[in-house]
Amino acid sequence: MTRPRRDPRAERAALLVATGEGTRPRLDRTVRRDGGGRLRRDPRRERDGQRVPGVLRPRYDLSQVSRPEAGPVHEAPRTVQAPVPTVVVLDAPAFLVLVVPDAAGGRLTPHDRQVLGAARVLAGREGGVAILAPGTCEGSGPAGADRLVRLDDKGGDALGDCDPGGYDPAGRAALVAEAIAELSPRHVLFPESPDGGDLARRVAVRLRQPLFSDVEAVAAGSIARPAHGRRVEQRTAPGLLVTLAADAVAEYAGPPREAREIPVRIETLARAAPAILSATTIPADPATVPLGLASFVAAAGSGVTDLATFREVVAALHATPGASRVLCDAGLMPRSSQVGASGTVLAATCYVALGISGAPQHLQGVAGCEHVVAVNTDLHAAMIERAGLAIVQDAQAVMPALLRLLTQDAGPTRDAP
Amino acid sequence: MRIAVLLSAGRHPVSGAPVLPRLEAQAIRLAVGLGEAHEVVGLHAGPDAAAVAEGLGQGLARIEHLTVAAEADPVPALAARLAALAPDLILAGRRGQGGPETGLVPYGLAEALDLPLIPDVIGLAPEAADRLSLDQSLGRGARRRVILGGPVLATVHPDAPAPLAYAYGRARRGAFEPVAVAPVEVSPGLAAEAGALPAIEERPYRRRPKLVKGAPAGGSAAERLKAATGEAGASAGGRLLVQPDPDEAAREILAYLRQVGVLAAPRPTDDPR
Repeated sequence: MTRPRRDPRAERAALLVATGEGTRPRLDRTVRRDGGGRLRRDPRRERDGQRVPGVLRPRYDLSQVSRPEAGPVHEAPRTVQAPVPTVVVLDAPAFLVLVVPDAAGGRLTPHDRQVLGAARVLAGREGGVAILAPGTCEGSGPAGADRLVRLDDKGGDALGDCDPGGYDPAGRAALVAEAIAELSPRHVLFPESPDGGDLARRVAVRLRQPLFSDVEAVAAGSIARPAHGRRVEQRTAPGLLVTLAADAVAEYAGPPREAREIPVRIETLARAAPAILSATTIPADPATVPLGLASFVAAAGSGVTDLATFREVVAALHATPGASRVLCDAGLMPRSSQVGASGTVLAATCYVALGISGAPQHLQGVAGCEHVVAVNTDLHAAMIERAGLAIVQDAQAVMPALLRLLTQDAGPTRDAP
Repeated sequence: MRIAVLLSAGRHPVSGAPVLPRLEAQAIRLAVGLGEAHEVVGLHAGPDAAAVAEGLGQGLARIEHLTVAAEADPVPALAARLAALAPDLILAGRRGQGGPETGLVPYGLAEALDLPLIPDVIGLAPEAADRLSLDQSLGRGARRRVILGGPVLATVHPDAPAPLAYAYGRARRGAFEPVAVAPVEVSPGLAAEAGALPAIEERPYRRRPKLVKGAPAGGSAAERLKAATGEAGASAGGRLLVQPDPDEAAREILAYLRQVGVLAAPRPTDDPR
């Protein structure tokens, strides 16, 4: 870069100011006259020029020459507001995809949501997803249902006195078959769960339609299932009846749907007296259920020395007892109760760890548990970090308090005759 | 009581060798476990009886073999034979193993014979007055006890008692009985339905990536990683209480368990003392 050669005489002459009786040097030397020298840098303006207009962040490419004149447009910082989800309304669907969920207790299971997601894929933009809900089925709109068909068991009420357990799978299959005949959907999807798979097969033989079961891949035009011992994948265009394997298809993640209720008149069928004379549900006994099947496990580690109190607490909580490897090695708890990689890997919903620090092998056994409560003296234990409710306290002190509270809560039942 | 156990020619899930499916061996155990007084017969419809020879060693004394072509539907032949046998209880596995594996055969039979079908049975007990009590598995150790009068078809759950040990002597003593099958004329309605079936294309099985629970469908890689490692789970933002009073800790634990739903709410006290 070449600069013009300085001319000191000219510079000095430029500093002179003409007065009445001649010239004198200028007093204020900081004022720059036009045309001479280099511009003075203004680092603040330069830095502002390096910002992206509109958004208050620097440019990623800082090598760009900034234009000092174009300062940033200062905006008020954008308030991040959650977009209001607009409910998708489908007024006249070209066809219907019917979903028959398990919906145990009127609540959609994760498997049911996956079936709704698959139905949404099959329905595409024009089709509508209808859910055949037993009674109230909350949250079916956000799960992807455009229509809701109430399948109130009117027939079940009529049969109520001769079927005390409320277990009438053949009657339910007949109702679903009636609903399918009434709605004439293009596809009907069931979850491949014990109840859903049973219902799907009953409906299939009733309607004399082929069933494509255990579907693992769903696309708009084709579905695939494993067969012949998972050696072969069968792929076909979706037919009328389909059951969907668990954890194969993602849930619906789009904007919520309408779940508009549509009335369907299903005449109560005159059915023969069912062959089932009585059906009683026997809940699992938490004390004897295998650890891998239990839904609520309370386990003791080396922080628990009073195992008699621990067993009382477990019985009062109606939990299944578990233990860490240390207690099982010491022979204080049976080997069948060991939780962890070398013991049992749990499938429980809730796990209470009393005096367990949480070795990696133990945490592997607990990996599938949704809710974990930990009581441990060590603040930095891995189990405390894993837990949803972590209490840094001696388990030996907490157990009697738990027992006292539980007996207090259960008190009136003991007084009752 | 006469009990029929339906046997299928299965394939081992790992080796692919011909094997009697475990569920059917468990069904044999359930039937034989009822005692000597009951007559138990195995029933197989297929091209070759040797496929179910293992059933003889698992406790069956007699297997009836209906010769049916490999690709043909076994339901009409089985239904005709079962109607002639008129057993009080028919036991079957939930589905075949190594074949199409749709699990429709027991349901088709129940429809053809007009019998009630009870799925997922793990226990049997005869009751008074020719009634039968069946224990049904509901998963996680819960059961449903169903009492029926009259003949019934039941499928067996994997939680049923383990099969009997294979005994070579028993397998030698057992006998196959070939049963002639009348050729079943296919009704025109069924043939029309078969023609309407969409074409099924077969290709080698491809294992698909595991679906991560709770992963956002269109999220960024960081969000998906967070979901996979469980950091975004329910226990991610956990509560931590450092050195609380033991009573307060116990109250917190019980409140948490009740909120999760594994512990019943306390019984309301009617009389304040």
